[in-house]
Amino acid sequence: MKMVRTLSLLGFLLSWSSITFAVELHGYIQWNKLCPDYGALASAKVLLDSGRISGRVTRNGNFSILDVPPGTYVLSVLSHDYSFDHVRIDVPPSETLPEVRPYIFGTPLLTTTSFNLPYPIVLTPRHKNRYFSPRESFNLLGMFQSPMMMIMVLTSVMMLAMPYIVKQLDPETLDGLKGHATTASIEKSIQNGDPRGLSALLSAGEETKASTPVAKSNTGPSTLQQRKGGKGNKRR
Amino acid sequence: MRCLRQLSFASLCVTAWALHESDVGVVDWNTKLIGVPLHGSPHTAPAFYGDYILTATNNNVLAALNTTDGSIVWRSIYDTEDPIMAFSHSDNSVSSLSGPGGSILRTYDLKTGHLTLEKQLHKPVDGRLHEPQNLGISLLRSTDPSLNSTVYFALTNGDSVTRLDETGETLWSWNSPDQASLVLYSHIIADPSTVYLVGLAKSFASYTLHVTTLSANTGEVIASVNIPANIKDETSKFVAVSSQIGPTTTVCVNWLEDDVLKAAILTPDLKGQVMALPGVKYVRISEFGLSNNGQFLAIKEGGAAHVMHFDVQASSLRPIWEFGDAAPSQAQSDSHFVGSLSRDGQPQVARVYWSNAHNKVIHQTLAIDLSEGKASASGFAFPFETREYGVIRHVAFDGSSTGNTHENTRTLLTTTTGSIQLWQHDKMQWVREEALASIQVAEFVELPEKKAVMSHAVVDEEGYFERLQRQLSDAKNLPQYLANFARRFATGSYATVTTSAASSSDEDTLTRDAFGFRQIIVAATAYGKIFGIDSSNGRVLWSRVLGLGWAAKVGGTIIPIKMFVTRTVSDPEGPQIVLVTQRRADNSLIDTVLFHVNALTGDDVRDEHQSIPGTALEGLDAVMGPLVDVFMLPNENRTIVMLDEYLQARLYPDTPSAQAEFESFVPSVHLALRADVSGRRQILGHQLALNLELSQFYVAYPTWTLSLPPKEEINNIIPNTRGPVASIGKVLGNRMTLYKYLNPHLTLVLTSSAPSSTCGIYVLDVVKGSVIYHASVPAASGVCDVQATLTENWLVYHYFDDDFSGTGQSKGYSVVSVEFYEGDGPDDKIRSSELSSYSNKTLHVSTYEQSFIMPHGITAISPTSTKFGVSTKDIIVANRKNSIQSIPRRLLNPRRPKHKPTSEEQEEMLVQYDAVLPDDARLVLSHNYEVANVRRIVTSPSLLESTSLVFVYGLDLFFTRIAPSGTFDVLSENFNKVQLVLTVAGLGIAIMVTKPMVQRKRLRERWYQ
Repeated sequence: MKMVRTLSLLGFLLSWSSITFAVELHGYIQWNKLCPDYGALASAKVLLDSGRISGRVTRNGNFSILDVPPGTYVLSVLSHDYSFDHVRIDVPPSETLPEVRPYIFGTPLLTTTSFNLPYPIVLTPRHKNRYFSPRESFNLLGMFQSPMMMIMVLTSVMMLAMPYIVKQLDPETLDGLKGHATTASIEKSIQNGDPRGLSALLSAGEETKASTPVAKSNTGPSTLQQRKGGKGNKRR
Repeated sequence: MRCLRQLSFASLCVTAWALHESDVGVVDWNTKLIGVPLHGSPHTAPAFYGDYILTATNNNVLAALNTTDGSIVWRSIYDTEDPIMAFSHSDNSVSSLSGPGGSILRTYDLKTGHLTLEKQLHKPVDGRLHEPQNLGISLLRSTDPSLNSTVYFALTNGDSVTRLDETGETLWSWNSPDQASLVLYSHIIADPSTVYLVGLAKSFASYTLHVTTLSANTGEVIASVNIPANIKDETSKFVAVSSQIGPTTTVCVNWLEDDVLKAAILTPDLKGQVMALPGVKYVRISEFGLSNNGQFLAIKEGGAAHVMHFDVQASSLRPIWEFGDAAPSQAQSDSHFVGSLSRDGQPQVARVYWSNAHNKVIHQTLAIDLSEGKASASGFAFPFETREYGVIRHVAFDGSSTGNTHENTRTLLTTTTGSIQLWQHDKMQWVREEALASIQVAEFVELPEKKAVMSHAVVDEEGYFERLQRQLSDAKNLPQYLANFARRFATGSYATVTTSAASSSDEDTLTRDAFGFRQIIVAATAYGKIFGIDSSNGRVLWSRVLGLGWAAKVGGTIIPIKMFVTRTVSDPEGPQIVLVTQRRADNSLIDTVLFHVNALTGDDVRDEHQSIPGTALEGLDAVMGPLVDVFMLPNENRTIVMLDEYLQARLYPDTPSAQAEFESFVPSVHLALRADVSGRRQILGHQLALNLELSQFYVAYPTWTLSLPPKEEINNIIPNTRGPVASIGKVLGNRMTLYKYLNPHLTLVLTSSAPSSTCGIYVLDVVKGSVIYHASVPAASGVCDVQATLTENWLVYHYFDDDFSGTGQSKGYSVVSVEFYEGDGPDDKIRSSELSSYSNKTLHVSTYEQSFIMPHGITAISPTSTKFGVSTKDIIVANRKNSIQSIPRRLLNPRRPKHKPTSEEQEEMLVQYDAVLPDDARLVLSHNYEVANVRRIVTSPSLLESTSLVFVYGLDLFFTRIAPSGTFDVLSENFNKVQLVLTVAGLGIAIMVTKPMVQRKRLRERWYQ
């Protein structure tokens, strides 16, 4: 009759399962700073292998997986927001406690690990999933902290301040500097630092109109010009 | 070492695409659903409980809804092999029995849904299956006054009772002595001292009642008696009602015997008499929610309904009210009766029915005053939209909400289209479209541009003044435009890829946004309703009920098979879809019905006269009988070709031009169909031919056969998802080219073989039936759960590998990535995309294959798709952690070297092979959202080549955008307009400052030269 029809397949399985021995696995989640309580964890599930045998984590953190036939299993936790380590469980065919071993995901399962973990399985949340990467926001201070910006700012300050510094200097030191500059590489660095390039750029429009000798003087030996400029200042 | 590896991966993946917290809810949305309530049994039907509505659903979810706004307070999702059988509530907790025979008891906190108890009552394999499946399973919770705690009485398997205390400790359990039992207990009633079990016992030619009483404290049998009832058929059930006076509960069992209502009052020692209520002929009796209060419903011959009351003091059973006109007729539908207790403990009965005369639903409330033996009925009508929501399937009634007036009367309706509605008096407070939890097919449809929508229809025929007028009227928007332009220029608020695609203005024109992120998702559900969903925010734009046609008279269901986008925005008719469905009438006739719908409005395209809006869509009965295969021709008309059960090709639309086009396509049509010859599954290749002697239609004839090994079943045939192919080859670091094997006729077949406990994966050429690729993977615990996808020349499949016996093997989920290239290696070219399928060269393929492992299983897999196919294709998977994750193509590249990449390989951007695919949270697209039980992932290109739209459905809906190669075609999100403007402005100021200085200097130079 329809009403009392039972599945013969299940009956068959039942007779088979009654012969083999099966154990109950118990364990708990160790709450920690990352995951202080059930409210943070939300619903989580503890799976053996592909999840045909599983148990849910209750509010006090305990879980139990029932009717585990003997064998070697990988225990994993399905939690939306937290990551847990995988654990290898060996259920012996005799009535002894199951063995719990650490298992690093991606390594061979049957390694002879030296130590066992305690039996009521303790699972610790390893890290909380962080889904978002911070946005790179605009920040005026940050903009000026970049080395390129600092060089730019320094150069412009130097450009403006250089004539006054030179003016303030002792005539002797200046002479010494100049003497030095004719030969040494410092001169070159000043040259590079000096916004000559900029002035050349600015005056580019005028230069096209100007006669070639002027242009030549501009591109001529730079030491000469520098000295002249210095002289000019001195005279004033 | 491992940390380092993860770090390197993280840096590798996140460079391409990163999700920011500010994007949440802007670029994506998520709709949490619970599914359509199970209304068949009072154990699982929706029920009011305080401010909550509790229900178990078709999607195997136990949920609590907020009565005020219909939001989900909490939900608990059960596995498919663990169906919810019954739930009950008491005080602050909700308990459920689930699994075969009710094997698992779970208790949740009512307010938070936190799981407080999980307990197995018997092994799932010991579960006995009955029809219906939750027969013989009942959960009773009662408060034990002596201990001041709740106790559970669980009736499971129809033959065992377990008493548990609050913490789940088993106090006692009792099993029916005869195991092969002919007795199936279905009702359990408990009072502090006695547990009554009532069930049906099979006897010769009929059923009798069997009652057993147990001691509530010890579980010992007090008495067990067969009541000589003569119940003819199992459909006319018996009813057990109880009534409580003080601490004692009296139980009365009622049944129908030859249309006479009989009753037996039960005492713990089961000594009593069978009474009969002669004179009145009843046809049916049923419980309606007040059986703990002594009331049940008896339907008289002729349709009048009696509310029966069992009076303990008088030990009498009598009708206390008659609903005289309850019989279904032309004027009204069948009535739903539902009982509930009012706030002061008095029974209330609501009768809800549809009245054709008023075109409204009539709600009648019967208030019973037991102490005075009086009852009064009052009623009101409410405007239920039957054209939009179908017919009422189930009514739940909150008796505590009614008073003298009906102002606050709350009723919860479950309809045939899968919606849940809460009505307060005659106003609908909220509606949940739970049919969306069972979407069968869904497609993206592009929206038209704004200009096209606003364009003037008759520009050609206007005169000078009219044109002037129009242009002036258009010009009135100019100041606004200028202001907008200035604002946009100053603030830099452009349409970027991280802005919401929803239209900011309130105007309800359906137009696309700048990048085509806003599209319409047309989704057809298993509840005969089709929805148009705005992809920018998840709102339902339109919905239509699918009409049953002639089957409306007998009843039936419509199962969507496939959906085709037959017209897009570029066509003058506007976007249209054709939904191909199978209509299963209740008289077991199956027809193929087509619905042709305007995707923007939901209007019927075939309906010339635009009948009254809002009525059910009328389909076209295209084929009388089931469908074997359906596909769309890639021609101008986009003709749909359906193969009926005689393999005749039927066309839609069936016009001469479509016929002519179809004839030109016939030689290139190749189909792979399943067949079953002498117990062996076969895949038969077919072509079409016209033979007018046999049929007026083109008929498919077999061209090749692929016989599978005995007992190997075909699980799925997945065609190649082919988008545009941007490049036909891959240039290697050494300047050689690997040419992709782009055979357009590739098809993926998934099989399962029970004897060898393996799953097969075949890639076939459907023209010749040649097997391009075949793999056999182990079936974990006998179940084939292979997820696979084939795109261009790339096959990715996923399975659980439990074969760890070999050396270095590990148990876990594997993902195998396979790529097919032409010839023997680089620079070997066979022009596979243009090659004739009959050429011998088509089998000249080299395969690159690599396997990876994943920490968690997946339920759906799909590649991304973009407009031109230039962007790399990532794989999107839905994993069992209820999140949607992308796996970058770089990680799944089967050509990843096993050594440190050489400079040539680095040039190809190859990274060293690592078996573990990283479980990086930043690859999770659904971030904090929970997207449960995903069945399918649909991807669609947007107008931006870089970005692909992803729609995910299952229990929940989820939508997001993904840019697998980064958003290379728009300004980078790091682009900082303020910085640019500031820098330019700063340079300008610097020039202004230095220009006079330079001029002065120049002047001086000239003077002193």
